[in-house]
Formats: sequence, C-alpha cells, structure tokens
Amino acid sequence: MKSGRKKVKQQSYYDYSMLILVIFIVAFGLVMVYSASSYTAQTKQEYNYDAAYFLKKQTWAVLLGIFAMLIVSKFDYRLLIRPIGHLKIRLVTCLYLLSIVLQIVVLFTGKELNGSKRWLNIAGMGFQPSEITKIAVILYTSYLIYKAPRAMNKGLGVMRVFIFMLVPIMAVAIENFSTALVIGVIMAGICFVSSKKKWFYGIAALLCTGIGGLFIVLGGAYRVERFEIWRNIETHEKGHQIRQGMYAIASGGMFGTGLGQSMQKLGFIPEAFNDMIFTIICEELGLFGAIAVVSMFLILIWRIFIIAVNAPDLFGGLICAGVLIHIALQVILNICVVTNFVPATGVSLPFISYGGTSVSILLAEMGLVLSVSNRIESR
Amino acid sequence: MSVINLSKEGRIKTFQKRGMAFVVIMFITLAVVLICRLSYLMICKADYYGEIARELHERERAVKAKRGVLYDRNGTVIAGNVSVSTISVIHSQIKEPERVIEVLSKELGLDAEYVRKRVEKISSREKVKSNVPKETSDIIREYNLAGVMVDEDYKRYYPYSTLASHVIGFTGADNQGIIGLEVTYDKYLQGQDGAILTLTNARGIEIENAAENRKEPVNGKGLLLSLDINIQQYAEQAAKKVLEQKQAKAASIIVMNPQNGEIYAMVTTPEFDLNNPFSAPETDSDGTQNGDYENKSGKKLSSDELNAMWRNPCISNTYEPGSTFKIITAAAALEENVVKLDDTFSCPGFITVEDRKIRCHKAGGHGAETFKQGIMNSCNPVFITIGSRLGVDNFYKYLNRFKVLNKTGVDLPGEAGTIIHKQKNVGAVELATVSFGQSFQITPLRLMATASSIVNGGHTVIPHFGVGIVDDETDRIEKIQYESESGVVSEEVSQTMRSLLEAVVSEGTGKKAYVEGFHIGGKTGTSEKLPRRNGKYIASCLGFAPAENPTVMALVLVDEPQGIYYGGTIAAPVIGELFENILPYLGIEKDSAVSLEE
Repeated sequence: MKSGRKKVKQQSYYDYSMLILVIFIVAFGLVMVYSASSYTAQTKQEYNYDAAYFLKKQTWAVLLGIFAMLIVSKFDYRLLIRPIGHLKIRLVTCLYLLSIVLQIVVLFTGKELNGSKRWLNIAGMGFQPSEITKIAVILYTSYLIYKAPRAMNKGLGVMRVFIFMLVPIMAVAIENFSTALVIGVIMAGICFVSSKKKWFYGIAALLCTGIGGLFIVLGGAYRVERFEIWRNIETHEKGHQIRQGMYAIASGGMFGTGLGQSMQKLGFIPEAFNDMIFTIICEELGLFGAIAVVSMFLILIWRIFIIAVNAPDLFGGLICAGVLIHIALQVILNICVVTNFVPATGVSLPFISYGGTSVSILLAEMGLVLSVSNRIESR
Repeated sequence: MSVINLSKEGRIKTFQKRGMAFVVIMFITLAVVLICRLSYLMICKADYYGEIARELHERERAVKAKRGVLYDRNGTVIAGNVSVSTISVIHSQIKEPERVIEVLSKELGLDAEYVRKRVEKISSREKVKSNVPKETSDIIREYNLAGVMVDEDYKRYYPYSTLASHVIGFTGADNQGIIGLEVTYDKYLQGQDGAILTLTNARGIEIENAAENRKEPVNGKGLLLSLDINIQQYAEQAAKKVLEQKQAKAASIIVMNPQNGEIYAMVTTPEFDLNNPFSAPETDSDGTQNGDYENKSGKKLSSDELNAMWRNPCISNTYEPGSTFKIITAAAALEENVVKLDDTFSCPGFITVEDRKIRCHKAGGHGAETFKQGIMNSCNPVFITIGSRLGVDNFYKYLNRFKVLNKTGVDLPGEAGTIIHKQKNVGAVELATVSFGQSFQITPLRLMATASSIVNGGHTVIPHFGVGIVDDETDRIEKIQYESESGVVSEEVSQTMRSLLEAVVSEGTGKKAYVEGFHIGGKTGTSEKLPRRNGKYIASCLGFAPAENPTVMALVLVDEPQGIYYGGTIAAPVIGELFENILPYLGIEKDSAVSLEE
C-alpha cells in the first residue's frame, strides 16, 4: 500500500494543458476588459480618467487567483475533509459555515451597488461573498455525498443535502437571485451526477420549471417586467442594455470590426466590461472570435470532464463535476442573456468579465481541479 | 490515514461517470444551439441591426439647402436668401476664456455676463447667437479663437419687407412656409437639405479620424410670379391714401388680368413686415424701407392678433358684394334672354315683393328707365324684376355656371367659400335680395373671377400668382398650367356687358372711376355690414380697361369708411387714380377719339 502511494506521487498526472488553457483564457479576458473598459475609465472622474483603471484592478485579481490556483493545486484536495488537528471540525465544514456567516454579514453591512447589497469591504478590497458561497457549496455538497453515496438513491438522502444547501442558497437569494439560481443548479447537478435514479431529476426539473413558471406568472412585478423586456427587446425602454448589446453582436458580422474598434463600447452599452463583455468580443472579433471563445470553454470543460471521470475518488470527481457545471452554466447563461435568448439576469462570463472576486475564486476552483488531476493514478 | 476512504464505497461508479457525460453532452448541445443563435444574429440580422447601430453612431450635421427665390413678373427678386451665421462655443476646446468673452461680447454687442454664462457652461456645444450678419461673423472668424464655432446658414430675406406681405408670406425656423405663397409652393421652394455624417460616441462627441460621409444639398426651385412690384406699389399707395382720407378700417385692392387670371397686385392695408412677421407693423413705416434681419424687440403680439394681422381678407373674408353683383344678374338675364336693353321699367323708389317693401337707394325713385339706364343707375327694382323673371332655378343655374358657388382655386392658402341660401330654401324675397347682391357672401376675389369670365368673352379664369417654376441652374422655366372652361356667356352677351359697364363709368354711378382718354368699364357697390343699421359699410368698385377688350381689372374695397360711404363716391376715384398710373405702365394706349369727344 505504501509503495503504491509512492508510485502515484512519482507518476502524478498534472494537467498542464488545462493550466495553459486557463491562463490563456484569463489573459484574453484581460485584453478584452481593457478594450471594453478604457473608454468608460478615461471619461469618468471616479476612475481618475485612467484608461487602464479596470485593467489594473483586474490584473491584481488575476495574479492573486493564479497564485491561489497554483498553491491549491499542489495540496491534496482530500485535506479538506480531514479533521483539523485534534478538533473534530473539517476545513470543508469551516468553509461552509464561513460562507453563511459572510452572506449574513453582507446583508447588514454590505456596500450597496445598483440597489443591491452584494459587496463586503475587507482591508480596502471589495469582494462578493456570493462567489465564496459557490465554492463552498460545490465542496460541501461533494463532501456530503461522498460520505453517504448510497443515500443519494433515496429521497431522504437527497432531501438532507438539499436542506443543508438551502441555508447558503437562500442567504444569497435575498440580494442576488441569479447567483442563487446558479448555485442551486450547481448543487442539483452534483446530486444528479451522483444519483442512480436519473429519472427522478427529470421529474424534478419539470416540476421546477412548472413552479418557476407559476412564480413568474403570479410573482412580483419585477420579474414579470423582465419578461416584458425580454419579449419586446427592441421597444421596451428598460431593454436598453441588452438592445445595445444586440446591436454590438450584429454589427460584428463575420470577422468583426477589429480589436479595439468597437463603437458600442463608447458609452452605448453601459458597463460593457461586466456581464456584457461577450457582445464586445462579438463586435470586435466577429462570429469567428465568438466561436473561438465558446470553443475554448468547451475544450476546458472537456478537460475537466476527463479529470472528473478519472478522479481517484468520488469526492474529487464531484468537485470536478461541480466546477464543470459552474463554468459551463455561466458561459451558457451569459451568452443566452446577451443574445436575448432568455430574460436578462446578471451572470458574468467566467474568466473574462470584469470582477476580481469572480476570477480569483474561479482560478482557485481550477486549482482544486488540478489538485484532483494530480492524484490520478496512471495505469 | 484511514480517513481517506479508498474503499469501494468512495470510488466513482459507472453510472456517475455516465451522469457526468450526460451533463457535458447537454452543455455541448446548448453551446451548439447558442452558436447557431449567434450566427443567425451576426449573419442574417447583421444588416438590420447594423443599420440601426450606424444611425445611432452617426451624427448628422445638416447642410441647409437654399430656398428657392420668388421673382415678380419683371424678374425682380422679392424673396431671397442672405447668408447668416450662428456663433457657438465648445467648452472643452476653449483655451482663453477671458479673451473669448471679451471678443464675442464686443463684436456681437452682447452683455459680457451673458456671454460668460455660455462660455463657462459645461456642455458639448453652446449657442451664443444666431442670425449673425456675414460681415460680423467674418470678423469673428478672423480672430481665430479656439473653441469658437462659426456656422453658416441661410435666412429668408424679403427686400421689399412689407410689399405684398399677405400674398408672399414668410417662412419659419425650419425653412418651411407659414403663410401665403411660401406655403403653396413650399415643395418646390424647399429643396433638400444635405448632411455631413460623422461617427460619434454615446455623448455625441465626434470621433477623430473617422471618415466623413457627405450628402450635398439640393437647392430649392425658384418661382416666377405674375405679381408686379410697380403695380403693387401703386396699389399700396392708393390703398393707403384712401385709408387715411376716409379713416377706414381697412382697404383692399386686387389687380388682375381678366383674360388669364394672372394677379398683378393684391393689397390689404395695413401690411406687415415680412422680415419681422411676429411684431406689429410700425405705424409710421414708409413701406419700402429695408428691414434689417435682426429681430427687433417690437411689441409682442398674441397669436390671435398675429393671425388677424396675417389674414388676407381678399381671399379669406367674405362680404356682401352689393351692387357690383348686378353684373352677374345682368349677364344671366341677358344670356337667358329674359330682358332686352331697351325694355322699360319704372322705379317709384321701392318695389314690393310678396309682403316686403324693398327700397331703391334713390329715395324718390328713378322713374321710368330702360334696362341700360337701370344698370347705369344701379336701380334695385330693375334687378329685382329681372331676377324674378329668371326665377330661382335659372338663377342658380347661372350661379353654378359662373362658378359663384365654388372657390376660385387661387394659389394661396386659406381661401373662403361662398355663403348663400340653399336653392330649395330660396323664396321670392331671397331671390330679390340676391339679385342686387345682398343676403349672401362671397370673397372679393370670387367676384373678380366671375366678373372676368363675363367680360372676357365668356371663359372661366383661375386667379393665380404662380406663373412658372424656375430652375436657377439651367434658367429654364416650367410653366404652370391653369384650366379654363369656355361658354360661360356668349361672346355677344359679353360684348353687351362690356359696353353696358363702360356706360356705367362714362355716364352712370361709376363716373369717378373715369380716366381721360381710356375706355373703362366698371360697377360700383355699397354694402351695409351685418348687423344692419349699425352705420358700417363697405364701399367697393370694380373697374376694367380697355372696355372693349379688357386686359386689366381692378377691385377696390374700402372697409368702414367714415362719413360718406357710397362706392361711387369713395371707391370709384381710387380705381380712376390707379388706372391713371398703371394703364400707361401696362402699355395700354390712350384713345385720342375719346379725349376729343369729351
């Protein structure tokens, strides 16, 4: 047994190709953030008229994230579920509790931005606790299932996981519905993967759609209005951002206007470097650029999938599955929103959209996946 | 190390791998669907959204088209354009604000504080003054101040300022006609504005080095009018004179060619200043003074007062024509053969129609008289008699044939229609009053157009000003066609009417319109304004010359003269005076035989 473990360490499978791919996507993201944000930055006093204002902030977050990714990837991910020292508590549980606490703190002391309290200020740096919740949910769900995988074939076992996860998800949902939705789908996805009774999820998905539909029809005006905007994107006065995004996408054509040549980023699309950055990619790089970006994400997802199915244990496999769902879901949702395929929700494009917390946490997640890849026994 | 569970329980099972594969395949499928959606947007919808986006990015700087020029019949410009400039400042480009304020306030004659406010306002572009004369803007341009923009523009300019103001009309800020001929011929005069298209960002700031897209303006076409500034000026003087002498409320004169309907002059006093159409006319203005194109801070008028001032009573007001209408009754009776020139009538000073006693204007009556004398005396009982001989149906047949019930179709906006009893409601009393020009209302121009068709040999005319559309680039004139119907009255009746009306001027009530050496026909009229017996009258006189083949016809209306109000006393001399001036001008020669006779 001992010699076997040594053998694993020597011939560890560290997915360098994926590491390179991630770094490439992140670097591309920095270029696009600079392209999309420089006009806004240099015309507003609050950004000191500095064209590179957003680029600088994002670069720091990316460097921090890459550092975290490399560190995390070198540690054994299984340390997360080991009891710390003599205490009976595990790291994964700590992270789970921490995310709930942070989410509650942000509700009371958070910085309000665009009408929602989503930001916490720690040591002069703002960050979004909801991003922490994403990684915490991925890890804790995986851990719960790993502890009792057979329970996932029974309704009660699934309910247990759901109840545990309901707490952080609801805490996020109060201020940020779309992120809560993403987290919920990640959790449900992990459960789906681990369960033998797939048909159950089919029914559950149908039920959720039904309930969601009812909620939309009978629910508050805010969400009904979203649907109104979605259906009348070209005429509704509040559809401005998406409408402008559509203009950007469509004016890109086959090969785009060229990097840095977007017209729509010149104040027409508000905050083009955030959730709308894909529209600027389309305008500047055209359909080919857009397909290239989607392809990069598909390759990344494929790499994570390979690691997931080859993971040494269920915990590692489920972590990879969670990260995979997280990235894929956000890519799909983001593009759906900017092409007006679904009603607008605030979902960013992973690794590329401006947002320090998001990119750092995503890179840390990639560190976890690399860590799992590091434990794959080569046969 | 037993914590790390490597037992079979902790391994990934095949169904879990399948689950992961299912998730990945689902995402790949979704990604493919999205790529299809993107392709649809970026290929099929590219033109549609691209066009909207370009409109969004392009800013249009209009290049104004020159408005077409109005020429009178001699080719004199009566409505042209002058170059003016708009001075504006661009806050972000100003380098020496103090100097800019100093120069602009000095050259434009503006208050320094007013300029300072504009210079210091943070906006992309702030207008300081518009309609600045070219000389001033040239001086400002020579200072070469950073951040000061001089944009050239055209402004409508009327060299004769008040001349024929109601007819010519004026234009608004967007180069569109507001009243008069400027409205009727707007589509020819306007031309098409050009544009310079530049790319801008969302705040409207132009992007440097972006290609400019230029669309050249198409200048408006010119318009040749039948109006003659000399006749118009004669007429204006005559109108002004009678207005002052009789202290009347208003005086109108129309001069027209009865053969083809070309209007030589149309005057309504008081006229207003076309270069300053929103301020009240200056009472002591000499009418020909060149107004400058600065906005005078004249008295502010309410919109009702403005509309009253701009109203052209010659076409927009109706009145009871009174005795001048007897021309129509006489022509109808002659054409229908119900009366002969030597038929005799007897006028005791009144006539009884049904139970109503209708008076003649001569209290004692005209006694026994022929039809010809009846016209010369303008005797009411004579016309009531021939009216009843015609009967209602015949009378209305001729009103229709003479187009009295229709609008004239003059090329001016705002023409009023005829107000008259419905044929089925006309009894003997109504027929009697209509026969001598009462109890219905027509416009002065309608009367002239119908009188023209009676004396010109019997063809209808459409009174008009527009003669041709002038292409200034090729100097070609495209004639404007007007319809004409013949057979209104026979040539014989027309001939009879001309000699009858000549007799009115040479011997009858129109004696004062007589000009020595000319054959002039005419008819006078006096209408009591409604309500009756308030002492307000309109004195009118219609005249034409030469009587045997009329080429000029004039109608004078004096509204509410003080003192004597008879058309023959007040309006007829105006016709005489006018003809004395314009007949030689129009090249109508004196007939020496007439002079000898007298």
